[in-house]
Amino acid sequence: MSRRRIFRILAINPGSTSTKVALFENETVRWSEILSYTKDRLAQFDRVIDQLEIRRDDIRDLLSEKKVTPSDLSAVVGRGGPFKPLESGTYRIEESVVNDVKAGRVQADHISNIGVLLAYEIAKEAGIPSFFVDPVSVDEFEDVARISGLPDLERKSLLHALNVKATAHQAAADSGEHLSAMNFIVAHLGGGISVCPIRKGRIVDVNNANEEGPFSPERAGGLPSSSLVKLCYSGTYDYNGMKKRLVGGGGLVAHLGTSDLVEIEERIRNGDERAALIMEAMAYQIAKEIGAMATVLEGKIDAILLTGGMAYADRIIESIKKKVSFLAPVRVYPGENEMRSLTLGTLRVLKGEEVSKTY
Amino acid sequence: MSEKFRILVINPGSTSTKIAVFEETDQVFSESVTHPEDDLRRFQRISDQHGYRKEIIMKMLDRNSIELSTIDAVVGRGGLLDPVTGGTYIVSDRMVRDLMEARRGEHACNLGGIIAREIADETGFPSFIVDPVVVDEMEPVARISGMPELERRSIFHALNQKAVARKAAQALGRTYAESNFIVAHMGGGISIGAHRRGRVVDVNNAFDGDGPFAPERAGALPAGQLVEMCFKGEFDEAAMKTRLVGNAGMVAHLGTNDMRKTKVRMEAGDEKAGLIYEAMAYQVAKEVGRCAAVLKGDVDGIVFSGGLANDDQFIDKIREHVEWIGKVFIFPGEEEMESLALGALRVLCGKEEAGTY
Repeated sequence: MSRRRIFRILAINPGSTSTKVALFENETVRWSEILSYTKDRLAQFDRVIDQLEIRRDDIRDLLSEKKVTPSDLSAVVGRGGPFKPLESGTYRIEESVVNDVKAGRVQADHISNIGVLLAYEIAKEAGIPSFFVDPVSVDEFEDVARISGLPDLERKSLLHALNVKATAHQAAADSGEHLSAMNFIVAHLGGGISVCPIRKGRIVDVNNANEEGPFSPERAGGLPSSSLVKLCYSGTYDYNGMKKRLVGGGGLVAHLGTSDLVEIEERIRNGDERAALIMEAMAYQIAKEIGAMATVLEGKIDAILLTGGMAYADRIIESIKKKVSFLAPVRVYPGENEMRSLTLGTLRVLKGEEVSKTY
Repeated sequence: MSEKFRILVINPGSTSTKIAVFEETDQVFSESVTHPEDDLRRFQRISDQHGYRKEIIMKMLDRNSIELSTIDAVVGRGGLLDPVTGGTYIVSDRMVRDLMEARRGEHACNLGGIIAREIADETGFPSFIVDPVVVDEMEPVARISGMPELERRSIFHALNQKAVARKAAQALGRTYAESNFIVAHMGGGISIGAHRRGRVVDVNNAFDGDGPFAPERAGALPAGQLVEMCFKGEFDEAAMKTRLVGNAGMVAHLGTNDMRKTKVRMEAGDEKAGLIYEAMAYQVAKEVGRCAAVLKGDVDGIVFSGGLANDDQFIDKIREHVEWIGKVFIFPGEEEMESLALGALRVLCGKEEAGTY
């Protein structure tokens, strides 16, 4: 029996007010830390990219505190951001993506963009490879999915790709199959909701959670276009006000004043019928979106996978199951573990199960 | 005298009026008259045209030797009323008043009920309307959108959707009231409804920018991008409105709302035309899938109707995506006159009780 090789992987995931750092030995997490930042401390920076130095130095300090020598690592993986549209998969971090991020050639100025810069700098010095995995700009749409009813408004592929793909990989493994042989519908149920049909490993369509599909705890999802236009011109809201109604202040927040499912559940138990109706409506819309994506796969679906934080909420899951279980078996993978998903994506490449892609 | 019920059907369009006489299910007479623009321009409001159009109808009947005394009922195209459940309604005083005042909006179809009642009153036979566009049988859960002030509303091609669903039920040897259907009306706008045991419990509102894009309508659009467009300062509200209704969908992409022209271009190798054609079918299929989830997969049939259902290639494209959901029925075109007559007939035969508005 050959001795199993141990890969040591450092995973870096920058969020708006913290950086999560974890060390994995193969699939096992050895330690995981959160470097937090006060808003005041970050306020001095105009652009998120300007936070690179302090965040990098803090990671270096953490590594020496943990007695981790970067050159002893197998690889560093960083969270990907809203880059240019890319196929799903694990990408080697190279000058090309680093330059695009530094020059702002990205779809949005988001803190996740600097994940690749952090990983790249730490890895480069140590002479080891660095990677990013399934960024939100994963785009495997078929052309037919890009068309909307107005030529100027193209349907865009932006989604919770990291968790969606990780869940799909896990479900395929659970079936003893490789993802490239499977058709799934994956619903990532978080503060925003992405429902995607996966055909033989490719995410061929998705409701862009900021633009369409089911409403979610904090986002409005799809809205009747004509009424929405009328509201835009009503003078009630300025541009930022309207944007807030769509993302951040939409969905459950708009209807019930909170996105806290525990609180809403409590209200329902105490007889709040409105809260019960709104929760049921959210499940109803998720089920409808799953039904829509089932036609994209022509009904050939191995399983429906429900994942993300809301997949812990029994009421919603049961309600969705009732409506869609006729399509395929429904499997629930609650929560999301970004650090683990980043690491597993890297491991697939290090083990030679998958070939890394070039940005 | 014939023992069959004879029904006069009145269907006012924006610039024309169609009439027909049915002997039960058979159409024995039909005629259409186009109204000169100058004639219509004399009226400030559409509802003011009722006397003018009624006179023309009476002359048409007279010229064709159709005596009112041989008629058992008159049925008109229903108008913009308060939301009602589906079915055949007696034209009540309250309905006439609402149509005259155009409380829910001006539209030529409002004249259908008004004129039907006026003619009926001359002879004492009943007047009806059938399944107006305001049919609302939506479940409360279907009304919620992600923004409380933008409620999803049931406004759709109810007359045709219900008529073809009944035909599909008949083909299966069942009644409409005991069947579940997904019905797609595909014309200049596309509405797709989930019919559960005779009630349309959910439907995309083609008039409010929901559902698939259509030859002339935008359907659902990416909300964030749409808001951005509204605030860019490039378009005022009126311009945005015309972009969504009338100048959107296929016509915005290809410059034509005519499917035949699009197909000619496709056959000549125009890839853009092919892609847009395919995308429309793709979006129709997705909306059918949404309705399948609403019905929890318990679907007796998928029914395609409206002008686009004449296009076999278009239907085939949709079919690839949805035929696993249920048996497919195709009733091309839109038989409004027949649908109205059959609605009145169901009441005259005692198969259905007329509703009161």
